[in-house]
Amino acid sequence: DSWGMLACLCTVLWHLPAVPALNRTGDPGPGPSIQKTYDLTRYLEHQLRSLAGTYLNYLGPPFNEPDFNPPRLGAETLPRATVDLEVWRSLNDRLRLTQNYEAYSHLLCYLRGLNRQAATAELRRSLAHFCTSLQGLLGSIAGVMAALGYPLPQPLPGTEPTWTPGPAHSDFLQKMDDFWLLKELQTWLWRSAKDFNRLKKKMQPPAAAVTLHLGAHGF
Amino acid sequence: MAAPVPWACCAVLAAATAVVYTQRHSPQEAPHVQYERLGSDVTLPCGTANWDAAVTWRVNGTDLAPDLLNGSQLVLRGLELGHSGLYACFHRDSWHLRHQVLLHVGLPPREPVLSCRSNTYPKGFYCSWHLPTPTYIPNIFNVTVLHGSKIMVCEKDPALKNRCHIRYMHLFSTIKYKVSISVSNALGHNATAITFDEFTIVKPDPPENVVARPVPSNPRRLEVTWQTPSTWPDPESFPLKFFLRYRPLILDQWQHVELSDGTAHTITDAYAGKEYIIQVAAKDNEIGTWSDWSVAAHATPWTEEPRHLTTEAQAAETTTSTTSSLAPPPTTKICDPGELGSGGGPSAPFLVSVPITLALAAAAATASSLTI
Repeated sequence: DSWGMLACLCTVLWHLPAVPALNRTGDPGPGPSIQKTYDLTRYLEHQLRSLAGTYLNYLGPPFNEPDFNPPRLGAETLPRATVDLEVWRSLNDRLRLTQNYEAYSHLLCYLRGLNRQAATAELRRSLAHFCTSLQGLLGSIAGVMAALGYPLPQPLPGTEPTWTPGPAHSDFLQKMDDFWLLKELQTWLWRSAKDFNRLKKKMQPPAAAVTLHLGAHGF
Repeated sequence: MAAPVPWACCAVLAAATAVVYTQRHSPQEAPHVQYERLGSDVTLPCGTANWDAAVTWRVNGTDLAPDLLNGSQLVLRGLELGHSGLYACFHRDSWHLRHQVLLHVGLPPREPVLSCRSNTYPKGFYCSWHLPTPTYIPNIFNVTVLHGSKIMVCEKDPALKNRCHIRYMHLFSTIKYKVSISVSNALGHNATAITFDEFTIVKPDPPENVVARPVPSNPRRLEVTWQTPSTWPDPESFPLKFFLRYRPLILDQWQHVELSDGTAHTITDAYAGKEYIIQVAAKDNEIGTWSDWSVAAHATPWTEEPRHLTTEAQAAETTTSTTSSLAPPPTTKICDPGELGSGGGPSAPFLVSVPITLALAAAAATASSLTI
Protein backbone atom coordinates (compact mmCIF):
# COMPACT_ATOMS: atom_id res chain seq x y z
CA ASP A 1 0.00 0.00 0.00
CA SER A 2 1.03 3.52 -0.63
CA TRP A 3 1.53 4.57 2.95
CA GLY A 4 4.13 1.96 3.57
CA MET A 5 5.98 3.03 0.49
CA LEU A 6 5.48 6.70 0.87
CA ALA A 7 7.39 7.32 4.07
CA CYS A 8 8.17 10.88 4.85
CA LEU A 9 11.16 12.90 5.53
CA CYS A 10 10.36 14.16 8.97
CA THR A 11 13.66 15.12 10.45
CA VAL A 12 12.24 18.36 11.77
CA LEU A 13 9.81 16.51 13.95
CA TRP A 14 11.97 13.76 15.25
CA HIS A 15 14.66 16.15 16.21
CA LEU A 16 12.39 18.47 18.09
CA PRO A 17 14.57 20.16 20.70
CA ALA A 18 13.84 18.68 24.10
CA VAL A 19 11.67 21.10 26.03
CA PRO A 20 13.47 21.87 29.28
CA ALA A 21 11.60 20.73 32.36
CA LEU A 22 9.76 23.60 33.97
CA ASN A 23 11.08 25.02 37.17
CA ARG A 24 9.14 23.07 39.75
CA THR A 25 9.10 25.57 42.54
CA GLY A 26 6.14 27.87 42.39
CA ASP A 27 4.88 26.91 38.97
CA PRO A 28 1.19 26.19 38.57
CA GLY A 29 1.78 22.66 37.38
CA PRO A 30 0.85 21.23 34.01
CA GLY A 31 -2.79 22.25 34.46
CA PRO A 32 -2.68 25.41 32.34
CA SER A 33 -0.71 23.74 29.56
CA ILE A 34 -3.16 20.81 29.51
CA GLN A 35 -5.94 23.34 29.18
CA LYS A 36 -4.05 25.04 26.39
CA THR A 37 -3.53 21.73 24.62
CA TYR A 38 -7.22 20.96 24.97
CA ASP A 39 -8.11 24.35 23.52
CA LEU A 40 -5.72 23.73 20.62
CA THR A 41 -7.40 20.44 19.74
CA ARG A 42 -10.75 22.24 19.60
CA TYR A 43 -9.30 24.98 17.43
CA LEU A 44 -7.70 22.48 15.10
CA GLU A 45 -10.89 20.46 14.85
CA HIS A 46 -12.71 23.58 13.82
CA GLN A 47 -10.02 24.42 11.27
CA LEU A 48 -10.05 20.91 9.91
CA ARG A 49 -13.75 21.02 9.26
CA SER A 50 -13.43 23.71 6.60
CA LEU A 51 -10.14 22.34 5.28
CA ALA A 52 -11.54 18.81 4.88
CA GLY A 53 -14.66 20.13 3.17
CA THR A 54 -12.58 22.01 0.64
CA TYR A 55 -10.16 19.16 0.09
CA LEU A 56 -12.85 16.51 -0.36
CA ASN A 57 -14.62 18.71 -2.88
CA TYR A 58 -11.31 18.95 -4.69
CA LEU A 59 -11.09 15.15 -4.73
CA GLY A 60 -14.60 15.09 -6.11
CA PRO A 61 -17.29 12.42 -5.81
CA PRO A 62 -17.69 9.98 -4.17
CA PHE A 63 -15.25 11.36 -1.56
CA ASN A 64 -17.31 14.45 -0.84
CA GLU A 65 -20.60 12.60 -0.47
CA PRO A 66 -21.90 12.54 3.11
CA ASP A 67 -22.85 8.86 3.04
CA PHE A 68 -19.56 7.71 1.57
CA ASN A 69 -18.71 4.66 3.63
CA PRO A 70 -15.83 2.74 2.05
CA PRO A 71 -14.14 -0.27 3.62
CA ARG A 72 -10.86 0.54 5.31
CA LEU A 73 -8.36 -0.86 2.85
CA GLY A 74 -4.82 0.29 2.60
CA ALA A 75 -3.75 3.19 4.78
CA GLU A 76 -2.31 0.57 7.11
CA THR A 77 0.35 2.76 8.60
CA LEU A 78 -1.96 5.59 9.56
CA PRO A 79 -2.15 5.87 13.34
CA ARG A 80 -5.60 4.74 14.38
CA ALA A 81 -7.55 6.56 17.04
CA THR A 82 -9.95 3.71 17.62
CA VAL A 83 -9.46 1.87 20.88
CA ASP A 84 -11.37 -0.46 23.17
CA LEU A 85 -13.37 1.49 25.76
CA GLU A 86 -11.84 -0.14 28.83
CA VAL A 87 -8.33 0.06 27.42
CA TRP A 88 -8.80 3.76 26.74
CA ARG A 89 -10.20 4.40 30.17
CA SER A 90 -7.37 2.67 31.92
CA LEU A 91 -4.50 4.23 29.93
CA ASN A 92 -1.95 5.73 32.25
CA ASP A 93 -1.10 9.38 31.69
CA ARG A 94 2.23 8.70 30.10
CA LEU A 95 0.84 6.26 27.58
CA ARG A 96 -2.07 8.52 26.84
CA LEU A 97 0.20 11.43 26.09
CA THR A 98 2.67 9.29 24.14
CA GLN A 99 -0.02 7.90 21.90
CA ASN A 100 -1.24 11.40 21.14
CA TYR A 101 2.25 12.66 20.43
CA GLU A 102 3.17 9.79 18.16
CA ALA A 103 -0.11 9.95 16.30
CA TYR A 104 0.19 13.63 15.47
CA SER A 105 3.83 13.25 14.51
CA HIS A 106 2.87 10.73 11.87
CA LEU A 107 -0.23 12.58 10.78
CA LEU A 108 1.71 15.81 10.34
CA CYS A 109 4.21 13.97 8.22
CA TYR A 110 1.55 12.59 5.93
CA LEU A 111 -0.17 15.93 5.74
CA ARG A 112 3.03 17.53 4.52
CA GLY A 113 3.12 14.88 1.80
CA LEU A 114 -0.40 15.85 0.87
CA ASN A 115 0.62 19.45 0.65
CA ARG A 116 3.31 18.62 -1.87
CA GLN A 117 0.81 17.11 -4.25
CA ALA A 118 -2.07 19.53 -3.80
CA ALA A 119 -3.11 21.06 -7.06
CA THR A 120 -4.33 24.53 -6.25
CA ALA A 121 -2.42 27.28 -4.50
CA GLU A 122 -5.33 27.95 -2.20
CA LEU A 123 -5.35 24.35 -1.03
CA ARG A 124 -1.63 24.45 -0.45
CA ARG A 125 -2.06 27.60 1.62
CA SER A 126 -4.81 26.06 3.75
CA LEU A 127 -2.84 22.88 4.25
CA ALA A 128 0.30 24.79 5.16
CA HIS A 129 -1.64 26.81 7.70
CA PHE A 130 -3.09 23.67 9.19
CA CYS A 131 0.32 22.02 9.33
CA THR A 132 1.63 24.97 11.29
CA SER A 133 -1.23 24.72 13.76
CA LEU A 134 -0.69 20.98 14.07
CA GLN A 135 2.98 21.62 14.75
CA GLY A 136 1.83 23.92 17.54
CA LEU A 137 -0.28 21.16 19.01
CA LEU A 138 2.68 18.82 18.98
CA GLY A 139 4.76 21.38 20.79
CA SER A 140 2.02 21.81 23.35
CA ILE A 141 1.81 18.06 24.00
CA ALA A 142 5.58 17.95 24.31
CA GLY A 143 5.35 20.71 26.89
CA VAL A 144 2.84 18.78 28.97
CA MET A 145 4.97 15.66 28.83
CA ALA A 146 8.04 17.56 29.90
CA ALA A 147 6.15 19.22 32.76
CA LEU A 148 5.14 15.79 33.98
CA GLY A 149 8.63 14.44 33.55
CA TYR A 150 7.90 12.04 30.71
CA PRO A 151 10.49 11.62 27.97
CA LEU A 152 9.45 12.41 24.44
CA PRO A 153 9.09 9.30 22.30
CA GLN A 154 12.16 8.88 20.14
CA PRO A 155 12.16 6.88 16.95
CA LEU A 156 13.90 3.53 17.16
CA PRO A 157 17.22 3.46 15.36
CA GLY A 158 16.73 2.39 11.78
CA THR A 159 13.07 3.24 11.62
CA GLU A 160 13.55 6.93 11.08
CA PRO A 161 11.19 7.71 8.25
CA THR A 162 12.85 8.77 5.03
CA TRP A 163 11.41 9.68 1.75
CA THR A 164 11.25 6.90 -0.77
CA PRO A 165 9.12 7.53 -3.80
CA GLY A 166 6.84 4.55 -4.10
CA PRO A 167 5.58 2.85 -7.22
CA ALA A 168 2.96 4.83 -9.02
CA HIS A 169 -0.48 3.61 -8.11
CA SER A 170 -3.88 4.58 -9.30
CA ASP A 171 -5.22 8.03 -8.86
CA PHE A 172 -8.27 6.60 -7.13
CA LEU A 173 -6.23 4.73 -4.53
CA GLN A 174 -4.26 7.87 -3.81
CA LYS A 175 -7.49 9.74 -3.22
CA MET A 176 -8.68 6.98 -0.92
CA ASP A 177 -5.52 7.41 1.14
CA ASP A 178 -6.13 11.14 1.33
CA PHE A 179 -9.69 10.49 2.45
CA TRP A 180 -8.56 8.20 5.27
CA LEU A 181 -5.87 10.63 6.34
CA LEU A 182 -8.39 13.40 6.82
CA LYS A 183 -10.82 11.04 8.52
CA GLU A 184 -8.21 9.78 10.92
CA LEU A 185 -7.08 13.32 11.66
CA GLN A 186 -10.61 14.36 12.50
CA THR A 187 -11.09 11.36 14.76
CA TRP A 188 -7.78 11.89 16.54
CA LEU A 189 -8.62 15.51 17.27
CA TRP A 190 -11.90 14.51 18.72
CA ARG A 191 -10.27 11.75 20.77
CA SER A 192 -7.55 14.11 21.98
CA ALA A 193 -10.17 16.47 23.35
CA LYS A 194 -11.44 13.58 25.46
CA ASP A 195 -7.90 12.54 26.38
CA PHE A 196 -6.95 16.00 27.59
CA ASN A 197 -10.24 16.38 29.39
CA ARG A 198 -9.41 13.24 31.30
CA LEU A 199 -5.93 14.49 32.06
CA LYS A 200 -7.35 17.80 33.20
CA LYS A 201 -9.71 16.07 35.61
CA LYS A 202 -6.90 13.95 36.98
CA MET A 203 -4.71 16.96 37.57
CA GLN A 204 -7.36 18.75 39.61
CA PRO A 205 -6.95 20.24 42.06
CA PRO A 206 -3.72 21.75 40.71
CA ALA A 207 -1.63 20.43 43.55
CA ALA A 208 2.11 20.92 43.87
CA ALA A 209 3.95 19.68 40.83
CA VAL A 210 6.21 17.57 43.00
CA THR A 211 3.37 15.40 44.23
CA LEU A 212 2.13 15.11 40.68
CA HIS A 213 5.50 13.93 39.58
CA LEU A 214 5.57 11.25 42.27
CA GLY A 215 2.05 10.20 41.58
CA ALA A 216 2.53 9.98 37.82
CA HIS A 217 4.53 6.80 38.00
CA GLY A 218 1.92 5.10 40.05
CA PHE A 219 -0.80 5.11 37.44
CA MET B 1 -104.51 -39.79 18.19
CA ALA B 2 -103.39 -36.89 20.24
CA ALA B 3 -100.88 -38.79 22.35
CA PRO B 4 -98.67 -40.44 19.69
CA VAL B 5 -98.50 -37.28 17.51
CA PRO B 6 -96.82 -35.07 20.08
CA TRP B 7 -94.39 -37.84 20.93
CA ALA B 8 -93.48 -38.45 17.27
CA CYS B 9 -93.26 -34.75 16.74
CA CYS B 10 -90.81 -34.44 19.59
CA ALA B 11 -88.72 -37.28 18.25
CA VAL B 12 -88.53 -35.77 14.78
CA LEU B 13 -87.75 -32.39 16.19
CA ALA B 14 -85.01 -33.83 18.36
CA ALA B 15 -83.51 -35.71 15.45
CA ALA B 16 -83.63 -32.68 13.18
CA THR B 17 -81.97 -30.53 15.83
CA ALA B 18 -79.30 -33.16 16.28
CA VAL B 19 -78.63 -33.28 12.57
CA VAL B 20 -78.48 -29.52 12.26
CA TYR B 21 -76.27 -29.30 15.34
CA THR B 22 -73.77 -31.86 14.14
CA GLN B 23 -73.73 -30.44 10.64
CA ARG B 24 -73.22 -26.93 11.96
CA HIS B 25 -70.60 -27.90 14.49
CA SER B 26 -68.94 -30.79 12.76
CA PRO B 27 -65.15 -30.41 12.73
CA GLN B 28 -64.42 -27.91 9.98
CA GLU B 29 -61.10 -26.83 8.72
CA ALA B 30 -59.96 -23.71 10.56
CA PRO B 31 -61.06 -20.48 8.85
CA HIS B 32 -58.87 -19.55 5.96
CA VAL B 33 -57.02 -16.34 6.82
CA GLN B 34 -56.89 -13.81 4.03
CA TYR B 35 -55.32 -10.37 3.78
CA GLU B 36 -56.59 -7.90 1.22
CA ARG B 37 -55.63 -4.39 0.32
CA LEU B 38 -57.71 -1.42 1.38
CA GLY B 39 -59.70 -0.08 -1.56
CA SER B 40 -59.36 -3.18 -3.69
CA ASP B 41 -62.05 -5.63 -4.81
CA VAL B 42 -62.08 -9.23 -3.68
CA THR B 43 -64.09 -12.30 -4.67
CA LEU B 44 -64.46 -14.97 -1.99
CA PRO B 45 -65.33 -18.40 -3.33
CA CYS B 46 -67.35 -20.66 -1.11
CA GLY B 47 -64.63 -23.23 -0.65
CA THR B 48 -64.92 -25.98 -3.21
CA ALA B 49 -68.61 -25.38 -3.95
CA ASN B 50 -69.69 -25.12 -7.57
CA TRP B 51 -70.31 -21.71 -8.94
CA ASP B 52 -73.99 -22.36 -9.20
CA ALA B 53 -74.36 -23.88 -5.71
CA ALA B 54 -77.06 -22.33 -3.57
CA VAL B 55 -75.31 -20.72 -0.61
CA THR B 56 -75.85 -18.02 1.92
CA TRP B 57 -73.04 -15.84 3.19
CA ARG B 58 -72.76 -14.38 6.62
CA VAL B 59 -70.24 -12.01 8.17
CA ASN B 60 -69.69 -12.23 11.93
CA GLY B 61 -73.02 -13.97 12.19
CA THR B 62 -75.01 -11.42 10.19
CA ASP B 63 -76.59 -12.39 6.89
CA LEU B 64 -75.32 -10.69 3.78
CA ALA B 65 -77.61 -9.47 1.02
CA PRO B 66 -77.78 -11.81 -1.96
CA ASP B 67 -77.03 -8.96 -4.39
CA LEU B 68 -73.39 -9.23 -3.30
CA LEU B 69 -73.22 -12.73 -4.69
CA ASN B 70 -71.87 -13.81 -8.01
CA GLY B 71 -73.18 -17.33 -8.07
CA SER B 72 -71.84 -18.86 -4.90
CA GLN B 73 -69.01 -16.37 -4.61
CA LEU B 74 -69.12 -13.29 -2.47
CA VAL B 75 -67.94 -10.12 -4.16
CA LEU B 76 -66.75 -7.20 -2.09
CA ARG B 77 -65.89 -3.98 -3.85
CA GLY B 78 -63.85 -1.06 -2.54
CA LEU B 79 -62.71 -2.76 0.64
CA GLU B 80 -62.85 -0.65 3.76
CA LEU B 81 -61.50 -1.39 7.20
CA GLY B 82 -65.01 -2.25 8.33
CA HIS B 83 -65.01 -5.18 5.93
CA SER B 84 -62.62 -7.08 8.13
CA GLY B 85 -64.29 -9.99 9.83
CA LEU B 86 -65.21 -13.66 9.76
CA TYR B 87 -67.07 -14.58 6.56
CA ALA B 88 -68.88 -17.87 6.40
CA CYS B 89 -70.88 -19.49 3.62
CA PHE B 90 -73.59 -22.00 4.26
CA HIS B 91 -75.43 -24.41 2.03
CA ARG B 92 -78.72 -22.59 1.66
CA ASP B 93 -81.05 -25.42 2.46
CA SER B 94 -79.15 -27.58 4.90
CA TRP B 95 -77.33 -24.77 6.62
CA HIS B 96 -74.22 -26.84 6.35
CA LEU B 97 -71.18 -24.70 6.86
CA ARG B 98 -69.10 -24.94 3.72
CA HIS B 99 -66.30 -22.48 4.22
CA GLN B 100 -64.97 -19.74 6.47
CA VAL B 101 -62.67 -16.84 5.67
CA LEU B 102 -61.14 -14.55 8.23
CA LEU B 103 -60.64 -11.39 6.20
CA HIS B 104 -58.19 -8.67 7.24
CA VAL B 105 -58.21 -5.45 5.28
CA GLY B 106 -54.97 -3.52 5.39
CA LEU B 107 -52.13 -1.89 3.49
CA PRO B 108 -48.60 -2.82 2.52
CA PRO B 109 -46.01 -0.98 4.64
CA ARG B 110 -44.60 2.38 3.54
CA GLU B 111 -40.93 3.13 4.01
CA PRO B 112 -40.21 2.95 7.76
CA VAL B 113 -38.78 5.87 9.66
CA LEU B 114 -35.55 4.90 11.43
CA SER B 115 -33.45 6.94 13.81
CA CYS B 116 -30.56 6.16 16.14
CA ARG B 117 -29.30 8.04 19.13
CA SER B 118 -26.70 7.70 21.84
CA ASN B 119 -27.87 9.07 25.18
CA THR B 120 -25.51 6.74 27.05
CA TYR B 121 -22.20 7.59 25.38
CA PRO B 122 -19.75 5.85 25.49
CA LYS B 123 -21.72 2.77 26.48
CA GLY B 124 -23.82 2.42 23.38
CA PHE B 125 -26.72 3.67 21.32
CA TYR B 126 -30.26 2.68 20.46
CA CYS B 127 -32.32 2.75 17.31
CA SER B 128 -36.05 3.18 17.05
CA TRP B 129 -38.40 2.93 14.15
CA HIS B 130 -42.01 3.34 13.20
CA LEU B 131 -44.19 3.37 10.13
CA PRO B 132 -45.37 6.75 8.91
CA THR B 133 -48.89 5.42 8.29
CA PRO B 134 -50.61 2.39 9.85
CA THR B 135 -51.07 -0.84 7.93
CA TYR B 136 -53.89 -2.20 10.14
CA ILE B 137 -52.42 -5.68 9.89
CA PRO B 138 -49.49 -7.29 11.71
CA ASN B 139 -45.97 -6.23 10.61
CA ILE B 140 -42.63 -7.89 11.20
CA PHE B 141 -39.50 -5.72 11.54
CA ASN B 142 -35.96 -6.90 11.08
CA VAL B 143 -33.02 -4.71 12.09
CA THR B 144 -29.39 -5.26 11.16
CA VAL B 145 -26.44 -3.20 12.35
CA LEU B 146 -23.14 -3.17 10.49
CA HIS B 147 -19.92 -1.58 11.63
CA GLY B 148 -17.82 -1.73 8.50
CA SER B 149 -18.14 -5.39 7.67
CA LYS B 150 -18.79 -6.53 11.22
CA ILE B 151 -22.36 -7.42 12.21
CA MET B 152 -23.37 -6.09 15.59
CA VAL B 153 -26.10 -7.39 17.84
CA CYS B 154 -29.07 -5.13 18.44
CA GLU B 155 -30.77 -6.25 21.64
CA LYS B 156 -34.50 -5.77 21.83
CA ASP B 157 -35.71 -3.25 24.36
CA PRO B 158 -37.54 -5.04 27.18
CA ALA B 159 -40.35 -2.52 27.25
CA LEU B 160 -40.65 -0.89 23.83
CA LYS B 161 -41.20 -3.13 20.86
CA ASN B 162 -39.89 -0.70 18.26
CA ARG B 163 -36.49 -0.14 19.80
CA CYS B 164 -33.25 -2.06 20.14
CA HIS B 165 -29.88 -1.38 21.78
CA ILE B 166 -26.31 -1.69 20.54
CA ARG B 167 -23.22 -1.68 22.70
CA TYR B 168 -20.09 0.10 21.48
CA MET B 169 -17.13 -2.21 21.19
CA HIS B 170 -14.64 0.45 20.24
CA LEU B 171 -14.51 4.17 20.67
CA PHE B 172 -13.19 6.81 18.29
CA SER B 173 -13.86 4.73 15.22
CA THR B 174 -13.41 6.16 11.72
CA ILE B 175 -15.72 3.56 10.28
CA LYS B 176 -19.37 4.46 9.98
CA TYR B 177 -22.25 2.46 11.35
CA LYS B 178 -24.97 1.31 8.99
CA VAL B 179 -28.37 0.39 10.41
CA SER B 180 -30.86 -1.25 8.07
CA ILE B 181 -34.44 -2.11 8.74
CA SER B 182 -36.90 -4.13 6.71
CA VAL B 183 -40.59 -4.38 7.40
CA SER B 184 -42.99 -6.86 5.87
CA ASN B 185 -46.58 -7.93 6.17
CA ALA B 186 -48.93 -10.10 4.15
CA LEU B 187 -49.44 -7.39 1.55
CA GLY B 188 -45.89 -6.22 0.89
CA HIS B 189 -42.61 -5.12 2.30
CA ASN B 190 -40.33 -2.11 2.51
CA ALA B 191 -36.93 -1.16 3.88
CA THR B 192 -34.60 1.70 4.64
CA ALA B 193 -31.12 2.25 6.04
CA ILE B 194 -29.12 5.02 7.68
CA THR B 195 -25.37 5.52 7.94
CA PHE B 196 -23.63 7.64 10.55
CA ASP B 197 -20.41 8.30 12.40
CA GLU B 198 -20.13 7.38 16.07
CA PHE B 199 -20.06 10.94 17.32
CA THR B 200 -22.89 12.43 15.27
CA ILE B 201 -25.70 10.59 17.04
CA VAL B 202 -24.69 11.59 20.57
CA LYS B 203 -27.57 13.40 22.29
CA PRO B 204 -27.92 13.24 26.06
CA ASP B 205 -31.20 13.14 27.93
CA PRO B 206 -32.30 16.48 29.41
CA PRO B 207 -30.93 17.51 32.81
CA GLU B 208 -32.95 16.29 35.76
CA ASN B 209 -34.41 17.86 38.83
CA VAL B 210 -34.23 21.47 37.69
CA VAL B 211 -35.05 23.64 40.66
CA ALA B 212 -35.23 27.42 40.75
CA ARG B 213 -35.31 29.31 44.00
CA PRO B 214 -35.52 32.98 44.91
CA VAL B 215 -32.52 34.42 46.70
CA PRO B 216 -33.50 36.09 49.98
CA SER B 217 -33.05 39.85 50.00
CA ASN B 218 -32.21 39.88 46.30
CA PRO B 219 -35.18 40.95 44.21
CA ARG B 220 -33.43 40.41 40.89
CA ARG B 221 -31.86 37.02 41.48
CA LEU B 222 -32.90 33.45 41.00
CA GLU B 223 -30.77 30.48 41.90
CA VAL B 224 -31.06 27.52 39.54
CA THR B 225 -29.72 24.04 40.21
CA TRP B 226 -29.99 20.78 38.25
CA GLN B 227 -28.43 17.37 37.89
CA THR B 228 -26.74 15.62 35.00
CA PRO B 229 -29.10 13.11 33.39
CA SER B 230 -28.94 9.77 35.16
CA THR B 231 -28.62 7.91 31.86
CA TRP B 232 -25.26 9.56 31.08
CA PRO B 233 -22.89 6.89 32.37
CA ASP B 234 -19.60 8.72 32.84
CA PRO B 235 -19.81 12.48 33.40
CA GLU B 236 -16.26 12.49 34.74
CA SER B 237 -14.59 11.34 31.55
CA PHE B 238 -17.25 12.68 29.23
CA PRO B 239 -18.33 15.93 30.81
CA LEU B 240 -21.46 17.75 29.78
CA LYS B 241 -21.95 21.41 29.20
CA PHE B 242 -25.27 23.11 29.77
CA PHE B 243 -27.51 25.69 28.21
CA LEU B 244 -29.94 27.60 30.36
CA ARG B 245 -32.89 29.59 29.09
CA TYR B 246 -35.26 31.72 31.12
CA ARG B 247 -37.95 34.32 30.65
CA PRO B 248 -40.72 35.90 32.65
CA LEU B 249 -44.04 34.25 31.90
CA ILE B 250 -45.42 37.49 30.54
CA LEU B 251 -42.76 37.83 27.83
CA ASP B 252 -41.98 35.63 24.81
CA GLN B 253 -38.28 36.37 24.48
CA TRP B 254 -35.87 33.91 26.14
CA GLN B 255 -32.56 34.82 27.71
CA HIS B 256 -29.79 32.29 27.19
CA VAL B 257 -26.71 31.34 29.13
CA GLU B 258 -24.20 28.66 28.15
CA LEU B 259 -22.29 27.06 31.01
CA SER B 260 -19.23 24.95 30.44
CA ASP B 261 -19.35 23.18 33.77
CA GLY B 262 -21.13 23.08 37.08
CA THR B 263 -24.75 22.31 37.72
CA ALA B 264 -25.82 25.60 39.21
CA HIS B 265 -26.26 29.15 38.03
CA THR B 266 -27.58 32.37 39.50
CA ILE B 267 -29.67 34.60 37.30
CA THR B 268 -28.92 38.19 38.23
CA ASP B 269 -31.08 40.17 35.84
CA ALA B 270 -34.55 38.94 36.65
CA TYR B 271 -37.41 41.40 36.63
CA ALA B 272 -38.49 42.01 40.18
CA GLY B 273 -41.68 40.30 41.22
CA LYS B 274 -42.29 38.49 37.95
CA GLU B 275 -42.74 34.75 37.75
CA TYR B 276 -40.08 33.08 35.65
CA ILE B 277 -39.95 29.90 33.64
CA ILE B 278 -36.53 28.25 33.43
CA GLN B 279 -35.24 25.30 31.40
CA VAL B 280 -31.87 23.61 30.98
CA ALA B 281 -30.40 21.49 28.17
CA ALA B 282 -27.22 19.39 28.09
CA LYS B 283 -24.61 18.46 25.50
CA ASP B 284 -21.37 16.55 25.47
CA ASN B 285 -18.54 19.06 25.57
CA GLU B 286 -17.22 18.24 22.13
CA ILE B 287 -19.53 15.98 20.15
CA GLY B 288 -23.13 15.45 19.20
CA THR B 289 -26.17 17.65 19.68
CA TRP B 290 -28.04 19.37 22.47
CA SER B 291 -30.57 17.44 24.50
CA ASP B 292 -34.21 18.39 24.56
CA TRP B 293 -35.16 21.06 27.07
CA SER B 294 -35.70 19.87 30.61
CA VAL B 295 -38.99 20.02 32.47
CA ALA B 296 -39.55 23.69 33.26
CA ALA B 297 -38.96 25.16 36.69
CA HIS B 298 -40.93 28.12 37.89
CA ALA B 299 -39.87 30.72 40.40
CA THR B 300 -40.44 34.31 41.34
CA PRO B 301 -37.61 36.44 42.71
CA TRP B 302 -37.79 37.51 46.32
CA THR B 303 -39.89 40.59 46.91
CA GLU B 304 -40.49 42.70 49.97
CA GLU B 305 -43.79 44.16 48.85
CA PRO B 306 -46.89 42.55 50.32
CA ARG B 307 -49.21 40.83 47.95
CA HIS B 308 -52.65 41.75 49.33
CA LEU B 309 -52.91 45.54 49.34
CA THR B 310 -56.70 45.39 48.92
CA THR B 311 -57.12 43.22 52.00
CA GLU B 312 -55.24 45.80 53.98
CA ALA B 313 -57.46 48.61 52.71
CA GLN B 314 -60.62 46.79 53.76
CA ALA B 315 -59.15 45.89 57.09
CA ALA B 316 -58.32 49.54 57.76
CA GLU B 317 -62.00 50.44 57.49
CA THR B 318 -63.27 47.72 59.74
CA THR B 319 -60.63 47.42 62.43
CA THR B 320 -58.84 49.82 64.60
CA SER B 321 -55.50 48.64 63.37
CA THR B 322 -52.86 51.29 63.35
CA THR B 323 -51.37 50.35 60.03
CA SER B 324 -51.76 52.85 57.23
CA SER B 325 -54.64 52.07 54.90
CA LEU B 326 -54.55 53.28 51.35
CA ALA B 327 -51.14 54.86 51.22
CA PRO B 328 -48.56 53.02 49.07
CA PRO B 329 -46.30 50.79 51.11
CA PRO B 330 -43.51 52.86 52.61
CA THR B 331 -40.01 51.55 52.68
CA THR B 332 -39.40 52.37 56.29
CA LYS B 333 -40.46 50.06 59.01
CA ILE B 334 -43.88 50.51 60.54
CA CYS B 335 -44.48 48.91 63.83
CA ASP B 336 -47.65 46.92 64.39
CA PRO B 337 -48.50 47.17 68.08
CA GLY B 338 -50.38 43.90 67.81
CA GLU B 339 -47.22 42.17 66.84
CA LEU B 340 -45.30 43.67 69.70
CA GLY B 341 -47.93 42.56 72.16
CA SER B 342 -47.82 38.96 71.08
CA GLY B 343 -44.38 38.62 72.63
CA GLY B 344 -42.57 37.67 69.43
CA GLY B 345 -44.38 34.43 68.84
CA PRO B 346 -43.91 32.78 65.48
CA SER B 347 -47.53 33.09 64.41
CA ALA B 348 -48.95 36.33 63.07
CA PRO B 349 -52.13 37.07 65.02
CA PHE B 350 -52.97 40.18 63.02
CA LEU B 351 -53.19 38.71 59.56
CA VAL B 352 -56.11 40.98 58.80
CA SER B 353 -54.12 44.10 59.35
CA VAL B 354 -51.16 42.89 57.23
CA PRO B 355 -48.35 45.13 58.28
CA ILE B 356 -46.50 46.57 55.31
CA THR B 357 -43.07 45.51 56.33
CA LEU B 358 -44.08 42.02 57.29
CA ALA B 359 -41.16 40.57 55.46
CA LEU B 360 -38.62 42.56 57.40
CA ALA B 361 -40.42 41.80 60.63
CA ALA B 362 -40.45 38.16 59.74
CA ALA B 363 -36.77 38.22 59.08
CA ALA B 364 -36.21 39.77 62.44
CA ALA B 365 -38.51 37.37 64.27
CA THR B 366 -37.52 34.38 62.17
CA ALA B 367 -41.16 33.66 61.60
CA SER B 368 -40.83 31.14 58.84
CA SER B 369 -44.46 30.17 59.11
CA LEU B 370 -45.70 33.69 58.51
CA THR B 371 -48.33 33.78 55.84
CA ILE B 372 -49.49 36.63 53.70
